[in-house]
Amino acid sequence: MAKIIDAKGLACPEPVILTKKALEQENKVTVIVDNEPAVENIRRLGTTMGCTLQMEKKEDGTYQIHLFREAGKSAAQPIEVSCTTGPLVIAISSDKMGRGNDELGYVLIRSFIHTMLSLEPLPHTVIFYNTGVKLTVKDSEVLDDLKKIEASGVSILVCGTCLNYFGITKDLNVGVISNMYDIASIMAAAGRLVIP
Amino acid sequence: MRDTEEYHVILFDSVHHALRSEKILKEMGIPHKLIPVPRHISSDCGICLRFTADLRTRIEEALAGKVEIREIRLL
Repeated sequence: MAKIIDAKGLACPEPVILTKKALEQENKVTVIVDNEPAVENIRRLGTTMGCTLQMEKKEDGTYQIHLFREAGKSAAQPIEVSCTTGPLVIAISSDKMGRGNDELGYVLIRSFIHTMLSLEPLPHTVIFYNTGVKLTVKDSEVLDDLKKIEASGVSILVCGTCLNYFGITKDLNVGVISNMYDIASIMAAAGRLVIP
Repeated sequence: MRDTEEYHVILFDSVHHALRSEKILKEMGIPHKLIPVPRHISSDCGICLRFTADLRTRIEEALAGKVEIREIRLL
């Protein structure tokens, strides 16, 4: 029998701390929470502690996360309990990754976008602005990756001012045109903001 | 949503060789894709060229004598 932890109504880091304590004693733990950030935080804890995870969304809006700690994996290692309270947002601010060499930067951004597909969990939103918007228009070499990411339920926002500046608005091939109101508020509400 | 197509990758010892290959294949209009070397394959250089299996001969011929290739293998 799995130990059941009812963490409904608790704010982070409580659910994570309770889960961690339970996993130090038991190999099977089921946690019930009522918000997505808690799911995400527990998922990360579980992964760090070497657990396999299963998640169920219940009709009443709660989530049940089943964690199984493999025998032999130590639970005693010091683990940082981290809390994020908002979605993962990735902002692509350039069609290059990093500064210094543009040819290399262009290779890196393509690699990054390809790798985004295998992020677990996927980002909630990916925002493109400045020269980053060039990656979303026709003939972009990452269009197929971006379309797959979008098809997986990730919201792709593209800065309309930027498309207009480069004169490529009509060439947009993935995502939706957005404005600074949305971009600023989504970035501000992010639990984690990744800018490659 | 998984790719069902069979892919091969070319591994290189240098990023520059990967970029040169990409340039050659682009000029010749041969479909390919520069991707990070998958974790289960190791390489000194972190990027590789992926292409569908049916293009292997064409690509090998296109790059022969122009670029140093470490290995071509199934993805």
